[in-house]
Amino acid sequence: MAEVSAGQVARLALLFERHHRALFRYFVSMSNHREQAEDLVQEVFFRMLRYRTSYDPAQSFTAWMYQIARNAGVDQVRKRSAVQVVDIDTYVDRRAELVSASAGPEESASRGQDLALLRRAMDQLPEDKREILVLSRFQGMKHEDIAEVLGCEVGTVKVRVYRAIRALEQIYFALEREKVS
Amino acid sequence: MIKRVGIGIGLAALAAVQLGAQEGRQQITMPFRDPSMPRKLIVEGGTGSLTIRGYQGQDALIEYTGREIPGANNRRGGRNDPPDGMHRIGGSRGLDITEENNTVRVNSQGIFGGTARDMVIQVPAQTSVNVKTMFGGIMTIENISGDIEAENFNGQVTINNASGSVVAHSMNGKILVSLDRVAADKSMSFSTFNGDVDVTLPADTKARFKMRTDFGDIFTDFDVKMEANAAPVVEEEKDRKGKSRRRVRVDGTQSGTINGGGPEMQFTTFNGRILIHKK
Amino acid sequence: MTCEQAKPRMTDYWSLTLGEAEQKEFSAHLASCEACRSEVSRVGALWQSLDLLPLEEPSGKVRERFYEMLGAYRQGLASAETQPAKRWWTMPAWQMAAAAALLAVGLGAGYVARGNGQPPAEVSQLREEVASMRQLVALSLMQQQSASERLKGVSWSYQVEPSDTEVLNALVTTVNHDPNVNVRLAAVDALRPFTGSPATHLAARNAVVQALPKETAPIVQVALIDFLAELKERNAAPELRRLVSDPDIDSGVRKRAEWALERMQ
Repeated sequence: MAEVSAGQVARLALLFERHHRALFRYFVSMSNHREQAEDLVQEVFFRMLRYRTSYDPAQSFTAWMYQIARNAGVDQVRKRSAVQVVDIDTYVDRRAELVSASAGPEESASRGQDLALLRRAMDQLPEDKREILVLSRFQGMKHEDIAEVLGCEVGTVKVRVYRAIRALEQIYFALEREKVS
Repeated sequence: MIKRVGIGIGLAALAAVQLGAQEGRQQITMPFRDPSMPRKLIVEGGTGSLTIRGYQGQDALIEYTGREIPGANNRRGGRNDPPDGMHRIGGSRGLDITEENNTVRVNSQGIFGGTARDMVIQVPAQTSVNVKTMFGGIMTIENISGDIEAENFNGQVTINNASGSVVAHSMNGKILVSLDRVAADKSMSFSTFNGDVDVTLPADTKARFKMRTDFGDIFTDFDVKMEANAAPVVEEEKDRKGKSRRRVRVDGTQSGTINGGGPEMQFTTFNGRILIHKK
Repeated sequence: MTCEQAKPRMTDYWSLTLGEAEQKEFSAHLASCEACRSEVSRVGALWQSLDLLPLEEPSGKVRERFYEMLGAYRQGLASAETQPAKRWWTMPAWQMAAAAALLAVGLGAGYVARGNGQPPAEVSQLREEVASMRQLVALSLMQQQSASERLKGVSWSYQVEPSDTEVLNALVTTVNHDPNVNVRLAAVDALRPFTGSPATHLAARNAVVQALPKETAPIVQVALIDFLAELKERNAAPELRRLVSDPDIDSGVRKRAEWALERMQ
């Protein structure tokens, strides 16, 4: 990114190729809305281009990127306070389809159901917990980087990740009981 | 420096001007100054048909035939009018060809003498073309891989085998366009007031369509993912007897994407159909 | 190590990111604590299974739009380079803005609350910066020689804030003076968002009123008339009446003008 701030705009393309998928998944996890997530990915790279001179090479690039991403997300929520609501059942069904499509035939039935359940549990997780889980588990970010993004201590991040996974566990088992009964 | 070919002014001085074999048919060669730089052709047309064609050569070849428009000239007696018992077989007034900074400009104004000029201009395929006619007839543009801007007053605009971008308008004629290739980042627009807009695009074109016809339908064999229309507007209005009534209006512009979307392509006609074919 | 200390380290344990000394202490605690042991295996299974969730793939559109943006940006940059007066990013004001943006990104990180209350100053500042960037791209594209590029500039104008008077002015100039019918037609449509912003709606309305008498292409005339009818813009009534009674005007345009006058009643 230091090179980008030196004005070599084309270097941004490299960063785009490296990070846009992870960023897209972050936004999808946060909003359940693919198109909006795509818009936001575009917005983040737009802002990077715009603020490239503000990037401090001593800072972690990933942390910087997610800071921008979060701000873009905040702006988006404000801009479309009445965003269309995705029907949760359709959404979950679609996820389940994805799962069964990618798993082997004999496994797919039971695993697909478990994963659909897990997905639903993720979606029901409060936003702040979902975010920290996504950052640490899916984006593979170091606790130090997450601390930088969220503006808190590393110790706090660890505690919050732990609480998030515990909360997920509770939701997951609650959903499972619901299904059985 | 401007190279200028003023026919009838300095004809003898120009080796480039050749008289065609046919009566009244002439050909002029105008080279582009720097073949390595982008080329542009600007044509301001008068009356008559106009064909622009991409070819393998390096120069602009301008070929034209003058012909009388029967009954077009009511004022008799001027020195530009045919004397009694004679008719015009050719002419040169109002044709002005210049080259400046790799732009060849052809200005052909021919209506005042009551003649039309049918013109064929050949340029290297990789040339940007900008054509505008005031009174024109049929306009045809073929095999051009540069950016095309075409505007016709009366008559159809036909663009074949284009592979750059197209922005085309006719006031009273059909727009018939076929693109072999579509550059990934080009915005395009096709419009006419009276007539169909008929455009053929490669099957894998990525674009966002904006389509509007006031009196006509829209047809396509592309799989267009339509975007939600603007919400219908319900408005109160008074009918002729002064009674109030309600009308539901849907904004006439419809949008949709093909192959996941891309640059904007606008299709507009007031009175006609929109046809978008898959190549 | 107590249970309280062990719990936040579990995620590190699952991710294999515990330091050597911590790993030892943690294992020692597990050996002695039945509750933590069961939690590590139970929740750990869930932690691992998150890996199995299918990954969403973005559509190709994302990549395409990114490169389009990059291209437009470079083009904007290049055309701004050739106009020295407009090299605003070399000015001290821009450097200050950049510093402010750096600050904004840093401060913005602490902002967690969503969708409630006023936007903090730094967020709105960020928005302004982005807006001026978009403005640059839209403005520079609208000045290009090729109609295709100018069309692209017009579509970029949808991305600026509708209160942006500079972009509005550029659109108005395009509506009034662009030599290409299709570009004028697109620009008329692009004025629409500006009629909804308190800062620009008057200027935008006036622009539509003033463009109509100058316009000669029927397709653009109709677009302007529709727009005026939609705005119920009474100031346009004299011009509409003139169009209705002018025999040289296309009959389709005359009928549309008549219809617009009726709607304004």
